[in-house]
Amino acid sequence: MEYTREIYWNVGHGVWTLLPMYLLAIFGIGLLVKGFYARVKVYQQGQPLVRWDQPWKRLKLMLQNVLLQKKVSRVIWPGLLHGLFFWGFGLLVIGTTLIVLQADFTDLFFDVKFLTGTFYKLFSIVLDVAGLVCMVMLGGLLVRRYFFAPAGLETKSDDSIMHGLLFAILITGFLIEGARMAATEMGTPLAPWSPIGLLVAKAVIPMGDGGVLALHKVTWWFHFLLVIGFFILIPLTKFRHILTTSANYFFADLGPKGKLVTLDLEDEDAESFGVSTIQDMTWKDIFDTDSCTLCMRCQDRCPAFATDKPLSPMKLISQLGEVAFNTPDSRLIDIIGKDVLWACTTCRACQEICPASIEHVNKIVDLRRAMVLMEGEFPGEEVMAAMEATEVNGNPLGVGYAERGDWIAGLGIKTLAEDPEVDILFFVGCYGSFDKRNIAVAKSFVKLCQAAGVKVGILGKEEKCCGEPMRKMGNEYLYQTLASENVETIKGYGVQKIVTTCPHCFNTLEKDYRDLGLEMEIVSYVVFLEQLIVEGRLRIQAEDISCTYHDSCYLGRHNDIYEAPRKLIEAAGGQLVEMERNRDEAFCCSAGGGRILAEENIGERINIRRVQMAAGTGTDVLISNCPFCLTMFEDGVKGAELEGVMKPRDIAEILAERIV
Amino acid sequence: MKILVCIKQVPDMESKFKVDESGTWYAKTDLAWRMNEYDEYAVEQAVQLKEQCKEGDITVLCIGSDQVKETMKKSLAMGCDRGAHIKDDEASGKEPFEIAGVIAEFAKDKDFELIFTGMQSQDRGSGQVGILVGEMLGIPSVSTVVEFSYEGGTLDLKRELEGGIKACVKVSSPAVITCQLGLNTPRYPTLPNIMKAKKKELLSIDIGDLLRVEPRQETMKMYFPEKKGGGLVLEGEAADLADQLIKILKEKTGVLA
Repeated sequence: MEYTREIYWNVGHGVWTLLPMYLLAIFGIGLLVKGFYARVKVYQQGQPLVRWDQPWKRLKLMLQNVLLQKKVSRVIWPGLLHGLFFWGFGLLVIGTTLIVLQADFTDLFFDVKFLTGTFYKLFSIVLDVAGLVCMVMLGGLLVRRYFFAPAGLETKSDDSIMHGLLFAILITGFLIEGARMAATEMGTPLAPWSPIGLLVAKAVIPMGDGGVLALHKVTWWFHFLLVIGFFILIPLTKFRHILTTSANYFFADLGPKGKLVTLDLEDEDAESFGVSTIQDMTWKDIFDTDSCTLCMRCQDRCPAFATDKPLSPMKLISQLGEVAFNTPDSRLIDIIGKDVLWACTTCRACQEICPASIEHVNKIVDLRRAMVLMEGEFPGEEVMAAMEATEVNGNPLGVGYAERGDWIAGLGIKTLAEDPEVDILFFVGCYGSFDKRNIAVAKSFVKLCQAAGVKVGILGKEEKCCGEPMRKMGNEYLYQTLASENVETIKGYGVQKIVTTCPHCFNTLEKDYRDLGLEMEIVSYVVFLEQLIVEGRLRIQAEDISCTYHDSCYLGRHNDIYEAPRKLIEAAGGQLVEMERNRDEAFCCSAGGGRILAEENIGERINIRRVQMAAGTGTDVLISNCPFCLTMFEDGVKGAELEGVMKPRDIAEILAERIV
Repeated sequence: MKILVCIKQVPDMESKFKVDESGTWYAKTDLAWRMNEYDEYAVEQAVQLKEQCKEGDITVLCIGSDQVKETMKKSLAMGCDRGAHIKDDEASGKEPFEIAGVIAEFAKDKDFELIFTGMQSQDRGSGQVGILVGEMLGIPSVSTVVEFSYEGGTLDLKRELEGGIKACVKVSSPAVITCQLGLNTPRYPTLPNIMKAKKKELLSIDIGDLLRVEPRQETMKMYFPEKKGGGLVLEGEAADLADQLIKILKEKTGVLA
């Protein structure tokens, strides 16, 4: 026998089938287009932004994430269920498309049938199994959502509609198949190629020939109507993520990672700075809100949310979406709340995990910019005082600027003003320059360089704060003032390479200063030191140390530097026990996003939580790579009453003790 | 309503001070400069008053070299309308009577309804200038004001006295007000206001045109306080403390001899 089947069997292939069928299809797709057209109007409220440069790179990114479900699958169980459902459903869509293609195109016009023979056998089994996989995965997702929902998972009518409709489509699909097989395939060699369909067929046979035919015909039309309903519902429900989230991969920020837009502060025509209303955001910011599926992954990783602060990145995105679609004239700060915006540490945990490529951090900074630049508002007086101290002395600690280079006394290095012929300029940063605990780190780094024969120079009193905390707090004006002065000073000396021990300085010089004309190589000290060891210039005597390692947000998620510090720890003889939350899932120390300048007076303290996680590894030393982290951990061990149990150290200190 | 605010640029108090070569003032190297803290309260109060009255014109006056213009810009960004820069490269050598004389000379024919200034400067700290200005102009002056309200030409004020006591004062304008910590929280200038400030009028007047009074005091010498032996805090258990104390008394005094 020939392995094939009659398409439109039992429903007919005449005008009374095709006409209503195609009219309904056009109607459904028309409503889908109309629904999205209305949404595009909402996106267009936003400011222009080009996110279609490098189209091939973007396309590749999109395909990786759509077809391979790269980001979705990062959270294993729900990711696996979603991924398999996606693939199953995708195969069903392809299969159905092939049927339409053959019946109403190749066969109709060219007498070409391809759903025959071995290909048809494969086609049958693949679709049959795909349908089963879809049912199982959808069932798994349903059980997760309705019976074992993780805390905080929001279930709305959209979710019931989606589950209901998808199940109905799948079940009716199997019923149609079963009824058709009951009437035409029982006992043929083709039947085993549709095992699930065969089970259904056996179940419906008792209905008798007439019953089976009627069941088939009615279910066929019902299934068809459900599919048309699915089309119509795409723009109206969370089904829209099929299109919006996929498109958002294409429109993703191609980097440099986390680089903020440098505002044109000299723009005479600008009436406002930062984002006060939804129209001040870009279209992409609004589009982001439509790509969100409320999967909660951001919220689950947010250090502010985890410690009872009012910020949830997910809720923030939802609120922005609600404003864009429902009350576009509202003042965003009134809707979102100041405490919510000030709570962010810009740790990027939300953005890094987001399976929809939503950009949370820049939105928060943009909203903060409006508060600071337009209203002169800060989270507290201590922050305003730090801003003013920085304006006067170039550092938020309020120490006299002239003392900035005092820490090098007796170390045998000079400022560039004294001797500009150096191998590297060490951009020390405020904490390394003024904070006693971090001066020890800066000194350790200098010792390591000297041991490797690297000639180091600093700017001393000519150096100013890099401006990172101010910028992340929204004070773009102060940031640009500081940054342009630093850029001018550095360029004046013609140095080739800058090394930083502060990830915040590193990120700012490496990315943000590029807009202001800084061009030379910027290296983080962990990468620099690792290179010195590899080259054999720096020799370290390994000596056992039981430790855990904290990935700072700005070396880790913001710059993907995970291995170099671990290699350094290994070289030092570190018996590293990782915390559960490490690398790109590391939990912030609380001090990013300018929060180093602010009191943490809502909820639990983030630094204490992190120190407790470190203590949970049962090791003695908590190694970090950032002056803000170190400051927070020194404070955190006191708060957690772990003094003497857990000792916070910087990686440079550990290495400097082991110089050969 | 015309308002005058008198401000001074002072070094940041966190700076490391050195006595200059003349031995009568601090050296100006390696200092960071800012607005005198008490003058910030004066600027803020003037701007709040203008906001309350919904009209007004605030002139900010500052005596000093061109360097003080930076500080004047901050007060313009906070909301003052125009600046009067009294150019004087030797301002730090002027004593309070001369400074007050210059201000009074500037203000005498300008019908200011209120003159605000800090209760003292953070560097010289004489606390005289505001009161002397009032005296020279023949109008009342109220010093160390910590609460301010204005209604139709009448001022209801609270002054801070010693020992946590406050004095309530009612006075009619015109008057001079010198401002004390606690009066208000100076605002952080917004970016549009910083931009606008760059375009505001900044008059420059030479000190010679306004200095009509002779100095009455002279700074003889400036020096750091002599280092004397500091206190010593003993910590620990009582028995241990007693031992430590006996040891010190034996070593450093003759009382146990």
